[in-house]
Amino acid sequence: MDETTGRGAGRPNSSSRRTLLIGAAAAAGGAALIARLWDLQIVRSGEYIGQAEANRTRQQAVSPVRGVVYDRNGVQLVRNLPIFDVWVMPGDVPEELLPDVATRLGELTGNDGPELATAIGLGQGRPLDPIRLIRNVTRETALIIKERTLDLPGITVRDSAKREYFHGEVMGQMVGFTGPISPERTEEYLERGVGLDEDVGLSGIENHLQDLLRGRDGRRLIEVGALGEERREFAYTPPESGRSVYLTVEVEFQRGMHEIMARFLGDLGAGVAIVMNIDSGDVLGMVSYPAFNNQLFAEGISTEDFSRLASDSRRPLINHAIAGLYPPGSTYKLVVAAGALEEKVLSPEHIVDCPGHLTLPSGWIFYDWLLTGHGEVNIHRAISESCNVYFYNVSGGNPYTDLVGLGERRLAEYSRAFGFGRATGIDLPNELDGIVPDSEWKHDNLDEPWVTGDTYQAAIGQGFVQATPLQLLNMYAAIGNGGTLYRPRLIDRVENSQREVIDIPEVEELGRLPLSADNLERLRSGLLEAVQGVNGTGKQARSEVASVAGKTGTAEYTGQLVEGGNLPSHAWFAGYAPADRPRIAFIVLIRDGGEGSAAAALVARDIVDFYFTGTVAPMRYAPFSSRRGIG
Amino acid sequence: MLDTIRRVQSGDFAVTLAVMGLITVGLVTLSGISEPASAGFESQIVRQSVFVVIGVFLYITVATIDYRILSIFAWGGYVFAMLALLLVLFFGVERFGAQRWFLFGPVQFQPSEMAKVALIIVLARYFTALQEVRNSTWTFMGSIALTGIPVVLVLLEPDLGTSLVFVVIWFCMAFAAGSRLLHMGIIVMLGIISAPISWFVMRPYMRERIITFIDPTIDPLGSGYNVLQAQIAVGSGGWWGRGIGSSTQSQLEFLRVRDTDFIFAVVAEQFGFVGSLVIISLFFIIFLYALIVVVRAPNDFSRFLAAGILAMIAFEVLVAIGMNIGLAPVTGITLPLMSAGGSSLVMTLIALGILVSVSLHRDVALFHASSRAELPAGRRAGHRF
Repeated sequence: MDETTGRGAGRPNSSSRRTLLIGAAAAAGGAALIARLWDLQIVRSGEYIGQAEANRTRQQAVSPVRGVVYDRNGVQLVRNLPIFDVWVMPGDVPEELLPDVATRLGELTGNDGPELATAIGLGQGRPLDPIRLIRNVTRETALIIKERTLDLPGITVRDSAKREYFHGEVMGQMVGFTGPISPERTEEYLERGVGLDEDVGLSGIENHLQDLLRGRDGRRLIEVGALGEERREFAYTPPESGRSVYLTVEVEFQRGMHEIMARFLGDLGAGVAIVMNIDSGDVLGMVSYPAFNNQLFAEGISTEDFSRLASDSRRPLINHAIAGLYPPGSTYKLVVAAGALEEKVLSPEHIVDCPGHLTLPSGWIFYDWLLTGHGEVNIHRAISESCNVYFYNVSGGNPYTDLVGLGERRLAEYSRAFGFGRATGIDLPNELDGIVPDSEWKHDNLDEPWVTGDTYQAAIGQGFVQATPLQLLNMYAAIGNGGTLYRPRLIDRVENSQREVIDIPEVEELGRLPLSADNLERLRSGLLEAVQGVNGTGKQARSEVASVAGKTGTAEYTGQLVEGGNLPSHAWFAGYAPADRPRIAFIVLIRDGGEGSAAAALVARDIVDFYFTGTVAPMRYAPFSSRRGIG
Repeated sequence: MLDTIRRVQSGDFAVTLAVMGLITVGLVTLSGISEPASAGFESQIVRQSVFVVIGVFLYITVATIDYRILSIFAWGGYVFAMLALLLVLFFGVERFGAQRWFLFGPVQFQPSEMAKVALIIVLARYFTALQEVRNSTWTFMGSIALTGIPVVLVLLEPDLGTSLVFVVIWFCMAFAAGSRLLHMGIIVMLGIISAPISWFVMRPYMRERIITFIDPTIDPLGSGYNVLQAQIAVGSGGWWGRGIGSSTQSQLEFLRVRDTDFIFAVVAEQFGFVGSLVIISLFFIIFLYALIVVVRAPNDFSRFLAAGILAMIAFEVLVAIGMNIGLAPVTGITLPLMSAGGSSLVMTLIALGILVSVSLHRDVALFHASSRAELPAGRRAGHRF
């Protein structure tokens, strides 16, 4: 009875009390669960929802098709060749199978298995980021890999494209090529939205217009399962194909220029030739000889080919038209002439006596190229006969007469106004600024004071003056067109993938030459006389097809002495044609070419003839090698 | 039979509803994540439904049978279960690196599930029979021996989780049966002391699970993956859950073993904090019911039975949920009534049936002694066991 009431009255016995303790422990556990659930599901829910979203969605970039480059007439200079690349999703390769997969893949593709294994292993730090293992496998290999998916977990084949360039050396230098991103520039390209496994433009137009040609990535937002496998697509933004670019150059004209340069220069010579539309700055042809075949790089250049190009002392990998700096020699004298006339250092009729040299009181002697002297010279003759002594007088002054020269400061100012000392802004990479020396420059760079002799040297385009062939050409184009300095134009128009013209780069003025019409005319008549006159230095450029106006230049540079103990020299010829109503400006530089009148002028004439007739005339002069007494 | 039905009270009814509720949620959840391709008995959901039917039938049957019969079969059942545990080590099929299952045609049977219930019954009888010397050292040692056999056998499979369940069942029953606190304390101390030693005898995967429990982010794509993904699933559920269709963690299989170990994470993702609370509440209805049964138990045997069943289910529920939310290491303990797996479901329902049977027969004398006047006799009858 006692027991019965005890049970019923809620006074449990010892076992029950102990069991209640067990129940209390369970309740405590339950409370802990609920607290934890509150924390996970309510307090930190947002964080976990974000993680779940990140889990299931993945953004994929969709590569755009790279734009194509055409010449002015729509001749294709490069195309995209479909190829197959082998990719790996590192996280999908089971660790224990990695060596087998790498070996099998190596056997299929002819690659080194252990190397592939290392590459995959490196990628496993970021298992969900696919990496490109092998470029450009054959279609057969691609098909085999696709069939053997089970043997090759994580390995996939993707369609891709590589560049194929036409026209070899003729366009190679200008169009350039694409290739893998160099390690030191990865950051920069990542910021520009370029995938690190992509090929990017490494030289020429390919490099300079990289962003335009590349286009913009498309985006796919996909839902993935736990293995990273695609479940469905949420959103798709198509890629924006790269723009197609039309150059101002005509491939056939460029080919002719190349041929003219090549046949003269041969295996030993080097030089630059550029032709420009005088009224727009359109570059019609630009040859830096020797050049290189960009298709070699597209195919993956052999060590042999590369070392041949890299070790050639003429440096064919550099576009010397914009990235070569040379003393401009006598072609530069027009800057002095313009300055002297405009600043009224002397009148156009002023006569300077040229005995063949000028000796400064300090004892330094400055020679004319004609040691017998030009006699009494005005500006007209000074230009046409390229009298050095005249330009010594008007630039640095004459200590024995009352002639006060232009002076280094004003000479430098005019030089800059004529486009020297700063890149022209052509659409090509690595263009150089050149050097316009003045006392400040000399102090900063050589820590020496400026002397009159420096002015004399600068006046004849020697000494410290350095210019690119394109800068010199631009000055002659400006003189020929009435005084407008254009930015050299290389991109004629840009099309989108629907072949609609979306951009025509404007003809852009860099400035106007600081010259009155009269003084400009005086320079022009001097240039005409230089070619057409009896004593003109550029007689050899005289063409039967068009009247040529131009100026020779022979620029000595410090180097191995040539025959007769003279310094080696570059030969220049710059000018425009037809002289009365110019259409083109041109420049020819024969590097290490001796007297400009002898080498550059002859090549320039061929190029002018070719422009106006459309055919390359037979070679009427000895090639470069025979001139140097070699071969 | 009719007598029995007449004795059903609101508590028995409530616990049955809770059990059915949990089973239903489990089935719905499983149907949401099982592969739709398979059909027939191959399909997990069909298989689970069959076990639900069998299990519920046994639940009702056991509930209506007088629990005291179990006392007769206690030793026989225990020996049978131990033999099964021994045989499975030789003739069982191996899955996931453990040999835990007998294969009978399409049905797999896990003897360790049966052994849990057998152990509860035998311990209840053992402690009841030795009531007078209940707190003697020898009694205590004897209960340890009874428990040690299945613990060792199951550890050999290996199945750390289930052997832990045996230990917990024994600990709680020994405690409830009035073992001396000194003995209990010594055992606890021994456990603490042997923890570092057991670290060295643990298999590598066991150590990995402990490490992962302490910090799952050490190897988020390897051993910590499941734990982290489960937490993401639970956490992303929020207040109301993401619904069955848009539970990306479950549907896209970021969660693995989501039909057994991580089924709670699936539920929590789909039904949110509110759903989780409902599940936990349903389990607590069962716990509360078990406690009431214990308190009202007419005799020691039934009291110990109920205490053992309470300990087993409570431990399994707490650990199975806890390991989904980073509160317990992953031990492979399934969530009672909800996880896929016939043996677990059926044996849990049988255990619950015993609980209800105790409730229904507490005022009944053994073998048709149904008169209320004989109540004390009934209680005395219980003492005989």
